[in-house]
Amino acid sequence: MPPAFLLPSTAPFAEEQIAALNRVISVTTPEQRAWLSGYLAGLQAASGGQAATPAAPPAKRAPLTILFGTESGNSEALAGQARKVAAKLGFAPKVVDMADFTPAQAAATENLLVIAATWGEGDPPQRAVDFYEALMADDAPRFEKTRFAVLALGDRAYAQFCETGRRIDERLAALGGARITDRIECDLDFETPANGWIDSTLERLNAEVGIKEAGASVIHVDFARPGGDSPTRARPFEAEITEHVRLSGSRSSSDTWHVAVSLEGAGIAYEPGDSLGVVPSNDPALADAVLKAAGVAADDTLRGALLDRLDITTLTAKQVEDFARETGTAALPAEWAVGRQIIDLLETAPGKLSAEQLTALLRPLPPRYYSIASSRKAVPDEAHLLIAGLRYTSHGRERAGVASIDITARHRAGDRLKVFLRSNPHFRLPADPERPVIMIGPGTGVAPFRAFLQEREAIGAGGRNWLVFGHRNYTHDFLYQLELQDWLKSKLLTRLDVAFSRDQPEKRYVQDTLWDVRGDLYGWLRDGAALYVCGDANAMAKDVHEALLRILADQGKQDKAGAKAELDAIRRDGRYLRDVY
Amino acid sequence: MDIERPLSANERIKQASNFLRGGIAEGLTHAETGALSEDDGQLTKFHGFYQQDDRDLRAERGKQRMEKAFSFMVRMRIPGGIVTPAQWLTIEKLAKERANGTIRLTTRETVQFHGILKGNLRPLMQGLNAVTLDTIAACGDVNRNVIATVAPWQRDHYAAISALARGFSEHLLPKTRAWHEIWLGEERISGGVVEEEPIYGRTYLPRKFKIAVALPPHNDVDVFAHDLGFIAIVQRGRIVGYNVTIGGGMGMTHGEPETYPRTADVIGFCKPQDAIDVAEKVLTVQRDFGDRSNRKHARLKYTIDTIGLDRFVALVQERLAVKLTAAKPFSFHSTGDRLGWAQEEDGTSHFTLFVENGRMKGGMLAGLHEIAGLGIGRFIMTANQNLVLADIPKAKRKAVQKLLTAHGLDGTFSGLRGSAMACVALPTCGLALAESERYLPDLVTRLEFELERFGLREDEITIRMTGCPNGCARPYISEIGLVGRGPGVYNLYLGGAHEGVRLNKLHRRDVNGDAIVAALSPLFEAYAKQRKSNERFGDFVIRTGVVAETTAGANFHENLSPDVGN
Repeated sequence: MPPAFLLPSTAPFAEEQIAALNRVISVTTPEQRAWLSGYLAGLQAASGGQAATPAAPPAKRAPLTILFGTESGNSEALAGQARKVAAKLGFAPKVVDMADFTPAQAAATENLLVIAATWGEGDPPQRAVDFYEALMADDAPRFEKTRFAVLALGDRAYAQFCETGRRIDERLAALGGARITDRIECDLDFETPANGWIDSTLERLNAEVGIKEAGASVIHVDFARPGGDSPTRARPFEAEITEHVRLSGSRSSSDTWHVAVSLEGAGIAYEPGDSLGVVPSNDPALADAVLKAAGVAADDTLRGALLDRLDITTLTAKQVEDFARETGTAALPAEWAVGRQIIDLLETAPGKLSAEQLTALLRPLPPRYYSIASSRKAVPDEAHLLIAGLRYTSHGRERAGVASIDITARHRAGDRLKVFLRSNPHFRLPADPERPVIMIGPGTGVAPFRAFLQEREAIGAGGRNWLVFGHRNYTHDFLYQLELQDWLKSKLLTRLDVAFSRDQPEKRYVQDTLWDVRGDLYGWLRDGAALYVCGDANAMAKDVHEALLRILADQGKQDKAGAKAELDAIRRDGRYLRDVY
Repeated sequence: MDIERPLSANERIKQASNFLRGGIAEGLTHAETGALSEDDGQLTKFHGFYQQDDRDLRAERGKQRMEKAFSFMVRMRIPGGIVTPAQWLTIEKLAKERANGTIRLTTRETVQFHGILKGNLRPLMQGLNAVTLDTIAACGDVNRNVIATVAPWQRDHYAAISALARGFSEHLLPKTRAWHEIWLGEERISGGVVEEEPIYGRTYLPRKFKIAVALPPHNDVDVFAHDLGFIAIVQRGRIVGYNVTIGGGMGMTHGEPETYPRTADVIGFCKPQDAIDVAEKVLTVQRDFGDRSNRKHARLKYTIDTIGLDRFVALVQERLAVKLTAAKPFSFHSTGDRLGWAQEEDGTSHFTLFVENGRMKGGMLAGLHEIAGLGIGRFIMTANQNLVLADIPKAKRKAVQKLLTAHGLDGTFSGLRGSAMACVALPTCGLALAESERYLPDLVTRLEFELERFGLREDEITIRMTGCPNGCARPYISEIGLVGRGPGVYNLYLGGAHEGVRLNKLHRRDVNGDAIVAALSPLFEAYAKQRKSNERFGDFVIRTGVVAETTAGANFHENLSPDVGN
């Protein structure tokens, strides 16, 4: 039975605090609740504070719809922040996911704050595609009654920076919407500018439409740093590496490691499906090379910044421009940045920067996120990560993944990693432990599914579990093979299918395997199975999506539109979830 | 026979296998493991393949949370070792696409593919079947691939003996459709039809069974090393029949003197038209009288020594429609291949390509690919792990020579290297105790240095190495035999006959490479200085008392010198 005495999500507390209070309140007796309210009121009065007057009916608060489109969770996190600020200002805020919203519903709102991520090469996040396409369609509704503002998230390393947010902003204006303020476009270091923009935008909106006296009824508490003392990106937890093992065979063409870290005392209560953020350090050799190429004498502070604080690899078109301006050299074309890094840029005109110019040129070093490959119910106080060391050559230079090589090659057991939690509430096991799940996770994409399986084993979930794994070579790349064998033996894992791309003349990928077993797959979906996809966003997730559409068309004996409608329905039902990167 | 002892585990597996099907098809569906079940692993041999694992990788696998690096070794059934150029191209393609990219020629005139993943077994078998090749009974307790002297330059005789090899193979092929069902997806015949194996019965043979056909004076097939042999007798320019030999076999077990290699006995003569019946009857006597309790004592050679040669022959004669008559005289002069070009009077040529230890890869495969692309002649695998490009028309010889030169395939080798053979051993063979194929070439290089010092570079001395005592490279019937005992350590045998008629004798126990060279170098020197005209090294070491002569398998372990070592 749902407890009747829960705090609303709009209560002026952080989500975690609401949850904590609800845990207590939901099991109280009427006497306890009466005592608590009396006690707190008395306390407040005794401290000389303003007596609360909750009994007075609040003035009608201005509605605010905060609409987010997210892939990695950043937009959603910002939407949550915006909701708190809005509530503080006296709005009646509502946070909605583009996945669950239509343009018609959006057009019916009075005040609309859009927080939109751009994914890959200028695409909207997968779950926002339907909303986005409908908004761009000729028959999109008019937004004449809507005030709006758009916060766009992106990554300057990609050419189509903030494309989705930009196009939504332009489209809403074209459809008659009234801009509250200009769009902001945020790079990977979005937190400070995004929060500042949210504050100023909502204050401006509040000035236009807010209920003046509403602010007075709100207890002003700063919730800008939610989560209490949980580690954050800015204040990560120094987790000791307890296990650091290469899983790839010695003849593998890949380099994948199992890294276990101790979270003892970290206050990181992750759930299966969540990611762990890792704050990496740069390659010291590269940092030195960058200093040398820039022509800057290395002092410890500067070198430390280059190691731990600044991104010395990613190169954006903007940096190419900035560099040309600062050095007075001829500007290189924007596409020159593709496949190149900071060091390549500096070496085009070596020795031309001051320390200040160099640090100004560089972006902050972003953390990297790894899907957690364990369940706390199986390994309390630990989190397991599955990390593929990235090495490649481009433009004649060896390149190395910043975090992946830092963790796999420059760390060993006993060392510490700076970590923090990134929750992924859209990638959760079904609430119903009996519901079957299909997990498609090639490569390191298998990580969250190991967490799922550990979790389902720990809680004795009865639902069937089907894993589809893939990699390059069966012999050298079968990650966690022995564990999966044990789970098949114990019947936790109902079924395992594999696709190894390089073991036969024709390349075989997970989507090929899915097609081969489409009858069974369709049967599972018909039985209500939830389908999860984790791994590479650019090729794999798209190919799997296409394969699913073909399977639904083939097995459901329907056309493409029918298949798409069915997959959309499955997605809206919360049974098609992705964690792709 | 003494029937009171329990049957070996393999007998039960065969009995319960429903004519070699077992659980193989089901095992193929288990994606989580690269292996098949242990019992099915015994049955797959009858389908032509062994489960193996890469022993170089064993140490790292546990840490990587992966099972052993399993793969399969698939051996083909190619009676007489003859394939067409088109078939060769298919074999090469399959080796690249489904195996580890190499082709291994074996001492049974066939091809082994290595490193095949479970999921590639079916495509491989289907690829072979598409060019009318198969792997049926290439391993297992059945008649294995039948080999015959490779002598395309003796056109008529060669046609006769290679046809006979094919005849043996077809007649003694298991009749079960298990291979076709599992690998090709052939529909199971249902209802009423009771399968049977008219020659083998439900449990097939107690152990493997090997047949060779020899055309004197070449004993390239080592006819005396086989369970059953046929020595062609040529009179007035045609094959009038065959001397029949029984009871040869190489395998033994270290530390078990009741196991031993044995050279075959000549038991009589049959006419060409009766040869297949003779083969069937020898095989069925072994089927009925062989030891099914102890697999180390199950080969035909032990059956003969247990019940006596005379009794065994009598049992065969009883079953024969046309009885064997007295053996006819014959003589052999060598076991090696004649490397390089051989030309017939009409200009037709044959090129015997030296393939060190039978392992073909890279440039050699590229060269053969181009030669096969000419679409001429036949590709014939020899019992010495070499390859004969046979029946090259006069007009094409230059083109072939050009390709051989272009790919560096017409080099010359020392007599020792050209007469060397090694089994596969590490890293894939599960039985190997020591390196073989990966080590012998280096050892030969060291020995060549010694031989050259004494002017023996061109002398063809047979040297054979195996990684374990089971004898795949027939080490006990060579002039120098090396049998693995442990990592880097071998037993050194000497005194086998160059022409393959006499076993060798243990000379030094548990010696490493240095000790092998140290033991052989003074013998080479003595041989160079003291040998009689045309005296072979294997005969020399007996005449000079280095080792005692082994006159029969039963005294292989006897008369050892006190210097052998512990």
